[in-house]
Amino acid sequence: MAYRAGASLTGMDYPRRTMLIKETCRGSGLKMESKSQKKEKITAVALFGFSLFYLISSFRLKMGTTHNLGPGFMPLLIGGLLLFCTTFNLVHVFGNKSIEGKMEDTAAGGEKNYRAIIGILSCITAYPFILGIFKFIVSTLIVAFVMLVILKPQRPIFSFLLGLGMAVASFLIFSRFLGMVLPSGFLEPILFRIGG
Amino acid sequence: MAEIVQSLLGGFTIALKPLYIYYALVGAILGTIVGVLPGIGPIGAMTILLSFTLTMDATGAMILFAGIYFGGMYGGSTTSILLNIPGEPASVVTCIDGYKMTQKGRGGAALTVSAVGSFIAGTLSILGLMVAAVFIADVALRFGPPEFFAIGVCGLILLVRLSGGSILKSFIMMLLGMALTTVGMDFLTGAERFTYGILELGQGIEFLPVAMGLFGIAEVLTTVEQKEFLQPIQKVKWRELLPTQREWKRSFPAMIRGSFLGFIIGLVPGPSPIIASFVSYASEKRLSKNPEEFGNGAIEGVAGPEAANNAAVGGAYIPLFALGIPFTPAMAIVLGALMLHGVIPGPNLIKVKPDLFWGVIASMYIGNLMLIILNLPLVNTFVRILKVPKNILLPVIVLLCLIGVYSLNASLLDLFVLAVFGFIGYVLRGVGFQPAPLVLAMVIGPMIETSLRQSLNITGGSLAGVILRPICLTLYIIAALTFIIPLVWRLVLKPHHSKRSGLNEKPLDV
Repeated sequence: MAYRAGASLTGMDYPRRTMLIKETCRGSGLKMESKSQKKEKITAVALFGFSLFYLISSFRLKMGTTHNLGPGFMPLLIGGLLLFCTTFNLVHVFGNKSIEGKMEDTAAGGEKNYRAIIGILSCITAYPFILGIFKFIVSTLIVAFVMLVILKPQRPIFSFLLGLGMAVASFLIFSRFLGMVLPSGFLEPILFRIGG
Repeated sequence: MAEIVQSLLGGFTIALKPLYIYYALVGAILGTIVGVLPGIGPIGAMTILLSFTLTMDATGAMILFAGIYFGGMYGGSTTSILLNIPGEPASVVTCIDGYKMTQKGRGGAALTVSAVGSFIAGTLSILGLMVAAVFIADVALRFGPPEFFAIGVCGLILLVRLSGGSILKSFIMMLLGMALTTVGMDFLTGAERFTYGILELGQGIEFLPVAMGLFGIAEVLTTVEQKEFLQPIQKVKWRELLPTQREWKRSFPAMIRGSFLGFIIGLVPGPSPIIASFVSYASEKRLSKNPEEFGNGAIEGVAGPEAANNAAVGGAYIPLFALGIPFTPAMAIVLGALMLHGVIPGPNLIKVKPDLFWGVIASMYIGNLMLIILNLPLVNTFVRILKVPKNILLPVIVLLCLIGVYSLNASLLDLFVLAVFGFIGYVLRGVGFQPAPLVLAMVIGPMIETSLRQSLNITGGSLAGVILRPICLTLYIIAALTFIIPLVWRLVLKPHHSKRSGLNEKPLDV
């Protein structure tokens, strides 16, 4: 199966697309591979940075004596081991030239729906902020609506109604049936009364 | 023994209360559903539902979770057999021969054998659980802080060794989990650690948002990137569900072997149901008179692994109920639920809370019976759940995680922790870091620190006094051997073996 330059990958079915990406990888090789390795390298550096920071922070705590260990002993021990392991990982990742066994991951990497991933993460991060402002039902509706639109673009009114259904259903289930206290504005008490 | 039987009968009087039967039924149905659905497994479901159990009592929560865990194992096999899609990792092996049987028109028989195998294994493992937990708890009453320190350390080391994938990465995840437990106020001195002036961090990082982020949100993000690709669903007719006499004869010994193997492996730290199913498959293949049939629809390849993964669930409960130490991520979640209800598991649990222990054990029998009654007649209904579009299912899971975390403490910080660990979990999974060691270390970490500090206090600062106690030393030797034996095998024995068989040696996996 030959890969035509400029052909749209999005219009193809999944197995065919994966096969094409794999073939392209085999042909032009290291470009896709370096993407996967880059991710490993960034993660390794981040972990190393965290362990260094953790270890340095643990020095500020009291170590105590062998008879009576202080609050800083365990963090120092964990930090030391963590730094050792992350350094080893860093050396391993940066020194690794092998590309074997990474092809599957790389091929999948070409398929990733970053828009949806970033969208969902943004919704989760934004939820605590808007929860304080708009209270439960409106915040949940906003988050559900945005996620529905991101995951499958469809008629906004359909996503809105579905999101509204999710927000109202979750309020009724958790507030009425499970007795949980959820942030309430003006809508929630009305719904609570309607719910019986 | 008479005492055990009497206690079990007492347990049945508790478990047969309508409310607990309802929880067992809900757990069994939910477990089967999450088992069927790829992407979200029993651990994810238990994590999401953890905070919702606050409205129940501890016994109810345990019954619900037991139903979900056992149900997940039942449900996972259905899609493995009919669609070649493992609903959860422990059913991966079932795909090999189960799906081949479906292609040959024997899918119904494979489903029945799998369900009956799961039932037999589940029942046997619960029997083992109640006897072993009572015995181990009795012995553990004599344990002191050095023993608990040794059990905690060895549990984590074995988990790292047996988790699969890179040992180095698992070790890093374990240490990260331990590091997270040090945030907040020191329980012995009251000193603040790593709070950086943030008041909310004084109470430490909650286990629940971290677990939900790593298992719930990260799972959702990973599922988002997978394209929906569903094969046409095969309908199973009633009469196809009955295996032939020959199939029964071949599968029954495999079920029994799988049950024992699974139960023993369930006691070992790590993802025991997954390991148990793989080990059972390998041993069935080795023991079979027709090993060439494996991979082409051998019924033993379905019966053995399905029995083994269910039996491992019963085995996994023993360390939790007898010692208060979870050895699998699912048990860490169960421990979290117990702690939410103010129950501290440990050797005293069976004596202090007999209603809870025996009630849960009895409900496991009831749950297993419910699962076999539900699973076979409703197999077509459960498979139809796969038709629920991902774009609706995933937002529902995210909302459940958000509301679940918020309802715990009404804390916005917990929601941030959820988001952060969802992202971290997703990124780390993408580069081969498994979340299980981190979650388990978060649960076992505080116990390890407390017992080490108490041990050194008792022994006057002598580390030898902590290590050289008979039980401790045995445990450390076992943990060390799990590293030494594979290393010796790879460095000394395998090169000779490879040379003889003309195979090339792979470099050491770090």
